[in-house]
Amino acid sequence: MPSAGSPPMIVRTSALTKRYGSFVALDACSLTVNEGDVFGLLGPNGAGKTTLVRTLLGYLHATSGSATVAGYDCRSQSLDVRARTTYLPGEARLFRRMNGHAVLDFFARLRRECHRDVATQIAGRLDLDCSRQVARMSTGMRQKLALAVTLATDVPLVILDEPTANLDPTARSTVLDLVREAKQAGKTIMFSSHVLSEVEAICDHVAILRAGRVVHEQSIDDLRRGHRIHARLTRAFPGVPEAFAGHLSAASTSDGAVVMETDEPLAPLLGWLATLPLDEVRVEPVGLQAVYDRFHRPG
Amino acid sequence: MTTPPHIAAARGGSIWNLAIWRMAWGDQRVLLLSLAALWGAFPWLYLWLSAQIEMPAFQDVLLKVIPADWQKLSGVPFSEVATHAGRVALAFVDPVVVLAATVWGITRGSDAVAGPLERGTLEMTLAAPVRRSAVFLTQALATTAAAALLCGVLLLSVWTVVAFGPWAGRVEPARFVPAAANVFGLMVCMAGLSACVSAADSHRWRTIGIMCGFYVAAILTKLVGRLSGMLGWVGYVSILNAYEPQRLVGGDDASWRLLLLYDGVLIGVGLAAYAIGAVIFARRDLPAPL
Repeated sequence: MPSAGSPPMIVRTSALTKRYGSFVALDACSLTVNEGDVFGLLGPNGAGKTTLVRTLLGYLHATSGSATVAGYDCRSQSLDVRARTTYLPGEARLFRRMNGHAVLDFFARLRRECHRDVATQIAGRLDLDCSRQVARMSTGMRQKLALAVTLATDVPLVILDEPTANLDPTARSTVLDLVREAKQAGKTIMFSSHVLSEVEAICDHVAILRAGRVVHEQSIDDLRRGHRIHARLTRAFPGVPEAFAGHLSAASTSDGAVVMETDEPLAPLLGWLATLPLDEVRVEPVGLQAVYDRFHRPG
Repeated sequence: MTTPPHIAAARGGSIWNLAIWRMAWGDQRVLLLSLAALWGAFPWLYLWLSAQIEMPAFQDVLLKVIPADWQKLSGVPFSEVATHAGRVALAFVDPVVVLAATVWGITRGSDAVAGPLERGTLEMTLAAPVRRSAVFLTQALATTAAAALLCGVLLLSVWTVVAFGPWAGRVEPARFVPAAANVFGLMVCMAGLSACVSAADSHRWRTIGIMCGFYVAAILTKLVGRLSGMLGWVGYVSILNAYEPQRLVGGDDASWRLLLLYDGVLIGVGLAAYAIGAVIFARRDLPAPL
């Protein structure tokens, strides 16, 4: 059981490692997810996102390290972990011989936390025809059905592995609304997606994985404070003044272009910028794409 | 967010789950109904065809034409086969019964883990607070209960055809209860072994392939054991040595004692395989479906 007075974190992994022979799927992964956050997991295919989630849920047994959900050990107390978790797999596959109603009935019978009436409501919001047999549903329809099951389950931690994949824009927007509603209800959401704009719009915190390692963690609030300044100078770049050296990075190219990044308020910088021999200047938010590209851009 | 009280109550779990029980019956419904129809009709057809050959003619062929050495294959003396009870008993070793029992065991057993894992449906089931052992054992219970039902259908059909069919009054129907129980033993054994392989596998087709290979090997070793004097010991390694329903129709205590031995082996092996499968399934990694 979680100890009294512990920080409000619901997921904690410590040096979590999963190896398959010589292949390391998850490499000393340490991260924490705070209660009530929407936590984004980012990374290309094979980065370890799904392995991390599957280890949390007890599908996979870690080679070393530890993981807890709500204070329960993910290996030895998996039943307790899953009693507090609902999970949408990356590729949700359901019982093909059943229709949508029967699938919702099955999961409502399987666990008391899954509320049949809420599932019906969510299916309705996603414009899903539950009378159709799963075998005759499109991939997107099956995804909606799985979402209805997952989001109708009243537990503290919701894990969504690419929940908007295969969905049309309207359904995507509805799913993001549902995630926001879950957050407002006090739930924690772990959200894995390749659509960075969605993650940026909905998450409070993100972790970027590469080759099984957590290579970057950042709060979205911090991200929004960050700006990138593209400038072209008529003379050589004089370098970053001492006063900004700690929080302003700059890279200049031979054709007089300079790209600077900062995560501090812009106002003091603007005065200094005005003293530079500017030919042109453009200021833009850094954005998640730029952060992601630092770790995953080819070359 | 504080944990709602219904979640705290969910702790502990159970090794039986109603939702999975109902799911398992739904999954096996088509095969169950098909085999029930087959086994309901087969004894009537078999005995009607058998009755077309009069007993004296059958005895002439069996006792005078077929070499005595071939008795080794039947497992019982030809003199016992050449009786009404013996001829009815042959229905239990007919491929329609033996293969259907094996198909049931392999089909249902292979669907314990490898089937839903391959189809991807195990993923969301196990996301719920359900023990892996509950998923495995509930499916095993449903498979075993349905096997008992099928053997009940087979026995009922044999009973009614013996009581009211072409040889009515010549054989006591109760003599065939041990034979039907032996069919049940075979089904439990094959289902248990298949479930054990399935628990370690991720592809149902491979589990089915392994079990088909095992079954063919069991037939071959039994035949080699029967026919070869020098390699007679080989027969003892075949699990099918414990499937001899034609030897269980004597209607005496010896038949029941032999049934206890046969079904003790078959059901014992089946249950042991289920237990090993449950442990394997509880400990293994479950890869994401491809």
